[in-house]
Amino acid sequence: MIRLPWSWSIERKLPLFVSALLLVVVLVMLGAAYQQVRHAALSLAAERVQRLTKVYVDLLQREPTTRRTQMTTLAADPGVREFVTSGGGRGRDWVLAAMRHIAPDTAPNLAIEVWDSAGRRLLLRGDTALRSDAEAAPPSDSVVLSPYRLRHDTLMYFAVQAAVRRGTEGRVIGRVVQIRRINLSKVGRETLAGIAGGDVALLIGNAGGDPWTDLEHVIPAPPAELRTSHQPISYQRGETKFGLAAPIAGTPWMLVTELSRRQMLAPSLAYLRTMAAIAAAVVLIGALGAWWVSHRITTPLNRLTTAAAAIASGDLTQRVDVPGSDELGRLGRSFNDMAGEVQRARSDLEGQVVQRTQALRETNAELEAFSYSVSHDLRAPLRAIHGFARILLEDHGPALDPEAKRVLGVIDQNTKRMGQLIDDLLAFSRLGRKEVDSARVDMTELVRSVADEMRRSAGDRPLEITVGPLPPARGDRDMLRQAVTNLLDNAAKFTRRRTPGRIDVGHNTNGAETVYFVKDNGAGFDQRYAGKLFGVFQRLHRADEFEGTGVGLAIVQRIVLRHGGRVWAEGRPDAGATFFFTLPGASDA
Amino acid sequence: MTHPQEVEILLVEDNPSDAELTLRALKQRNLANQVFVCRDGAEALDFFFGDGSHALREIGVVPKVILLDLKLPKVDGLEVLRRLKEEDRTKKIPVVVLTSSREEPDIARAYRLGANSYIVKPVDFEAFARAVSDVGLYWLLLNHPPR
Repeated sequence: MIRLPWSWSIERKLPLFVSALLLVVVLVMLGAAYQQVRHAALSLAAERVQRLTKVYVDLLQREPTTRRTQMTTLAADPGVREFVTSGGGRGRDWVLAAMRHIAPDTAPNLAIEVWDSAGRRLLLRGDTALRSDAEAAPPSDSVVLSPYRLRHDTLMYFAVQAAVRRGTEGRVIGRVVQIRRINLSKVGRETLAGIAGGDVALLIGNAGGDPWTDLEHVIPAPPAELRTSHQPISYQRGETKFGLAAPIAGTPWMLVTELSRRQMLAPSLAYLRTMAAIAAAVVLIGALGAWWVSHRITTPLNRLTTAAAAIASGDLTQRVDVPGSDELGRLGRSFNDMAGEVQRARSDLEGQVVQRTQALRETNAELEAFSYSVSHDLRAPLRAIHGFARILLEDHGPALDPEAKRVLGVIDQNTKRMGQLIDDLLAFSRLGRKEVDSARVDMTELVRSVADEMRRSAGDRPLEITVGPLPPARGDRDMLRQAVTNLLDNAAKFTRRRTPGRIDVGHNTNGAETVYFVKDNGAGFDQRYAGKLFGVFQRLHRADEFEGTGVGLAIVQRIVLRHGGRVWAEGRPDAGATFFFTLPGASDA
Repeated sequence: MTHPQEVEILLVEDNPSDAELTLRALKQRNLANQVFVCRDGAEALDFFFGDGSHALREIGVVPKVILLDLKLPKVDGLEVLRRLKEEDRTKKIPVVVLTSSREEPDIARAYRLGANSYIVKPVDFEAFARAVSDVGLYWLLLNHPPR
C-alpha cells in the first residue's frame, strides 16, 4: 500500500488525483468495452461456424450420393449380374466397359472390384494393394460407404460397395466395390476454404477417430469432445481453435469447421489497442489539464503565502499580484486591502506609541523634577525646624520649664518622622521609575544574607530566622533584596513582643508557579484589613504600638508587581502573619 | 565677616537656616572663623572669577575646602562645580557637595564633574551637625592638599 504524502503541495496532489481518477474510469470502461466486443466477436463466430458447417455438410453430402448412385447403377447392370452369376466366366469385357462408363479412370478412382458372395474377387481393375472390405458382406443396405483408411501415411481413401442381386429384389449374389481417394491438395483446400473466407479451416475424417485431414495433409483426429458436441466449442489443436463438428449423413464421416481463436479475436484486440491508445491520450490530457488548473490555483496561493509570511515578519509594504476576477483574484484584492489596513493601523499605532512615549517621558521628567523638589525643598525647612528646636533646647534649656521642653521634644520627634516619611516616599517613587533588571537570582543566598544582617542588628533580642532552600528566581537582584529586607524587617518588627520571635522563610510549589512565603509568630492582623496592608502610608497598628511609615510593604508590592508577580498576606490578630509572593521562575525567559 | 584672605572654608548655601546651622556646627569645632558664605552660585563664581567690581574678589585666596549646595539661585551648584574644575587655578580646591538631594543622577553628575565628596544633609540636626563638623575636620586638618 502506497501512502500518499499529504504534505505534498496541491500542485502535485491535484493532477495526481485527477490522473488516478481518469485512469480508473478509463480502465473500467476499456475493460467493459473489450468484454462486450469480445463477446460479440465470439457469438458472431459461433453463428458463422454453424452456418458454414451447414454449407459444407450440404456440399460434401453430394459425393457419397453420387458414389451411391454410380455403384447402384453398376450393380444393377444386367451384364454385371451375368458376370457374377457365371462366376466371372462370361461378359468380362462387357463389365469392364460398364465400369469405364460409370466410373471413368480419373485420378480419385483407385480401383474397382467385383466379388461373388463367397468372397472371391472376380475382377480387379486398378491398385491391388488397397483394402476394400468386400469380404464383409454388407447387411441389408445395398450400398455402403466405408470409413476413411490411410495408406503410406499420405493416401486417404474409402470404399463404396454395392450389392449385386439376382433380379430386382432378389438374393445377394456378389458386390461391386469402388475405391476412391480423397484428393489432398493445397488448391483443393483453398478452393473449399475460399467459399467461407480465408480464415476458415475445413477438416474431414472419421466420426470414430483417425484418420483426419485438413484437405492438404493427414492430421490427427480432433478431440473427441468436439466430435461429440453439437455446439461450437473452443479446443486445443496446435493453438486454441473454435469450431463445430457435423456428421455427413449416410457415411461414417464427419466434418469440422474451425476458426483460429486468435484470429477470431484479433479485431477485438485491435479495438482494445486503439481504445487503450485513446485512453492513454485522455489520461495524459487530463493530467496536463489538472496540472495547468492546479498551477493556476497554486501560483497565486504561493504568492499569497509568501506575501503573508513577509507581512508576518514585519514587511508591511508587501502586496500580491493576483489578476482576474475569480475567487483567487478577489482573495488577492482582499489580501491587499487587509495588508493596507494593517499597514495604516500599524503606522497609526507607531505614531501613537511615539506620542505616548513622548508624553510618558515628559511626565517622567516632571515626576523627577517633582521628587527632586520634594527631596531638596521639603527637607530644608524640616532641618531648620529640627535644628532650631535643638538650638533652643541647647542654648536656652535652663530657662525653659518642663512643659516647654516636652513640647520641643514633640517637635523633635515629628520632624524626624517627617524626614523618614519623605525618605520612604522618595524611595517608593524612585522604584516606579527604575528599570527592572532580569537576571537569575539565587533566592536562598539572598534571603540568608538578609537574615544574617537582621540577626546581627537584632542584638540580644531572641530572634529565630529559618530559611529553607528556595528555588531561584529571575529578576532585579537589588530590588528583590529590598523587598526581602522589607518583609523581614516587617516580620522582625511585629515579633518584637514574642520570646523568641520566629520567622520562617520557605516556598510552596503551586503547579508551575513557585510561591515564596515569610511567616512570623508576631502580632498578626485582622484579615478584614488585609487589603490595606500594601497601600502607601496604610498602617494597621497605632504608631505607639509599632513604629513605621507604612511604605515598606507598599514597596514590596511595587517590586513584586513590577516583576510580574503577586503578593498577598494571611493573618489573625495575635496569631502571626504570613506574606506570600510569586516571581518569574529562573527558567522563564 | 571673615576677611577673604583668611578664608579656609567657602560655604555656598542659599538657605540662611542651613547656612546658620552649618556655621553653628563648624563653630562647635572651632572651625567657623575662616568661613565665607556665598548666597548663590553667581556669587561663588564672582568670588573666584569676578571682574573686580565685586568686593570679594581677591586674587590668590584659595580656600582649603568648598562646601557646595546644588540647588542654588542664578547659577546652580553643578554649574559652579563645572567651572571650578575647569580652571587650573581652582581645580585643585576640594569641593564637598553638601545637599539635600539623594537623587542618584545628581550624585553621579557631581562625581563626574570632579566633586571630592558628596554628602546628603540629614534632617536630624545631630546627624547634620556631626556630618558638617566631620567634613570640616577632615578637609581642614587631616587632608594634605598639593602645593
